[in-house]
Amino acid sequence: MGAYVALIGRGYVGVMYDIATDHASALIAALITPVFGFGFVLGLRFLASRGITWAVRVMQAYGATPSITKLAAALMLLSGGLHLALVPGHAGITGVLFIVDGLGFIGLGIAAFFTSWWRRPAVLWLVATIVAYIVWVVAGWETPDQVGIACKLIELVALGLLMRLANPTRRSWPRRAWRATAFPLMACVTTLGIWVGGLAHPDALHAHAGALLQPVADVATPEQQVAAARLLADTRANIARYQDPAAAIAAGFKPGPVSSADPLRHFQNAANANVILDPNRPQALVYAQTTHGLQLIGAMFQMARAGQWGPDPGGPLTQWHQHEGICFSPFGFEFTFETPFWTCPVGSTSITTPPMLHVWIIDNGKNGPFAADLDKTVQRQLTGRS
Amino acid sequence: MNQPGSINNGASDIASVLVVVQASFSLVAGLSALPFAIVEPGFRVLAVVTILMAAAMFWLARNLRRGRRWAWRWLVTLEVLSLAMTAVLSLLPIGSIRGPVPLLVNLVIPLSVLVLLAVASSNRPSRPRAAELT
Repeated sequence: MGAYVALIGRGYVGVMYDIATDHASALIAALITPVFGFGFVLGLRFLASRGITWAVRVMQAYGATPSITKLAAALMLLSGGLHLALVPGHAGITGVLFIVDGLGFIGLGIAAFFTSWWRRPAVLWLVATIVAYIVWVVAGWETPDQVGIACKLIELVALGLLMRLANPTRRSWPRRAWRATAFPLMACVTTLGIWVGGLAHPDALHAHAGALLQPVADVATPEQQVAAARLLADTRANIARYQDPAAAIAAGFKPGPVSSADPLRHFQNAANANVILDPNRPQALVYAQTTHGLQLIGAMFQMARAGQWGPDPGGPLTQWHQHEGICFSPFGFEFTFETPFWTCPVGSTSITTPPMLHVWIIDNGKNGPFAADLDKTVQRQLTGRS
Repeated sequence: MNQPGSINNGASDIASVLVVVQASFSLVAGLSALPFAIVEPGFRVLAVVTILMAAAMFWLARNLRRGRRWAWRWLVTLEVLSLAMTAVLSLLPIGSIRGPVPLLVNLVIPLSVLVLLAVASSNRPSRPRAAELT
C-alpha cells in the first residue's frame, strides 16, 4: 500500500477501483520485475563477452528476436511476475490459478526467444487469463481494483502485439474482418466485464458508481446519535429562511445549471467555500424541481479540497462522500461514468469533487437524513421522476 | 505497399498496436456515453465525436503500419495534444489522474507512442539524393 500512497501523493483517501490491500505486493513486483529483467540481460551480455558458450547462444537468440516479440515477451514476463506476487494474498483455487498463470506466462515469455510455436499458446493463455478475470469479477469472487485492471491492460497490449505478429496464410474477407475486429472486441468485453463486476458487487465504501464513502466505524455511539440529531435540527432551523429560492439568491447562493437528467438543483454559495460544517453557512442548498416550483429539501456541506474528509459528529450516521470516476460535459450539468481504464468521451473531463455531506430536511425514506442520495421513492413522489 | 517518404519498421508496428489499444478504449468511452445521451443532449454530440475519433485512430494505426507518412504526422499531433491535456488536467485540483491505471493510459501509453514514432521516423531510410541517382 505504501508504494501506491507514495505514487499518488498527499491527501490519499481512496479512489474508485482502489488498490486492494492484498494486491499492494504486486506494485512492488511491477517495479522490481523490469529492473530484474534488465539486470539479467546485462549479466548475460557480460557472460557472453567472456565467451561462456550457453550465454553466447542465449544472447544470439535474444539479438535475433524482433523488437515486437521482445516487448510481447517482456509484458508476459511482467504479468507472470505480478501474478506470482499476488499468490500470498489469495487462498484456495484463486491462489493455485495465480501460480499456474504466473508460471505459464514466464514459460511462454522465455519460449518467445527460443521457439517458433510459442505465439498461439501465448494468445490462448492471454485470452484465457483475461476471460477468467472477467468471470471472477462478474461472479463477485474478486473485486476489480487498479492492480487487476493494470494487469489486464498489460495483457491486452501483449495480446495486441501477438495478434500483430500473426502471419495469415489465407486472406479471405471473413478472416480479415475477424483480424480487424477481434482485438477491439476483446478490449470492449474486458472493459464492460470489469464495469459490470464493479457495479454488481460494490464494496462497503462505494455508495453507488461514482461515489466513494468516508471510512467510519460500524455502529454509532449514543453521543454520536445525539450529535447527528442536533446537526439535522440545526440545519433544518437555519436554512428554513431559504424556502423561497429568491431569498437564497439574495443571500449569495447561485442557482446551478438546470439538467434534464437530474430533477434536483444545487444553489451554491462561493463565500462559504472555506467554512467547515456550519449549519448556518452551508456550501449549497438543494431544491427539488416539483410541479409547483422549487422546494427546499436539504443542504449540502462541502470541504475545500478533494480527499479532505470533513468532521463527522454522528460517526457512521454522518458519513461524507466524494464523487469520482465521473466525466463532466462542457455543455452544462451532464455527466457519464469514466471507464475502468480511466477514459472519458472526448471533450468531457474526469473530475473528483471535494467530499460532501447532504442533510435532507424532508423525510428521506429508508436512506435517512444524511444519505449521499435522495431516496428514489421520495424523489419520484416529489418530482415525478426517478 | 510503402510509398516514397514512408515509414515502416518494428517501432511503427508497436506504435500502431498501442494506438489500436487507445482507439479501443476511446470506442468503449464513446459507446458507454450513449445510454446517458438519451437524457443528456451534450453527450449525444460527445459520444458520436468519440466514436468517430476512435474510428479515425483505427484507420491511422492501419496506415501507420502501411508506412504512410501523413498517418505518422496525424498521430504525432494527436498524441502531443493528448499529453498536453493530461498535463493540464493533472495540474488542476480536480483529481483527474489518481493511481497507476490513469497514469498508464493517459501518460505512459501516449508517451510511448510518441517515442516509438520518433524512433520509427529516425529509422526511416533516407531518400537518395539527386546527385546519387545520376
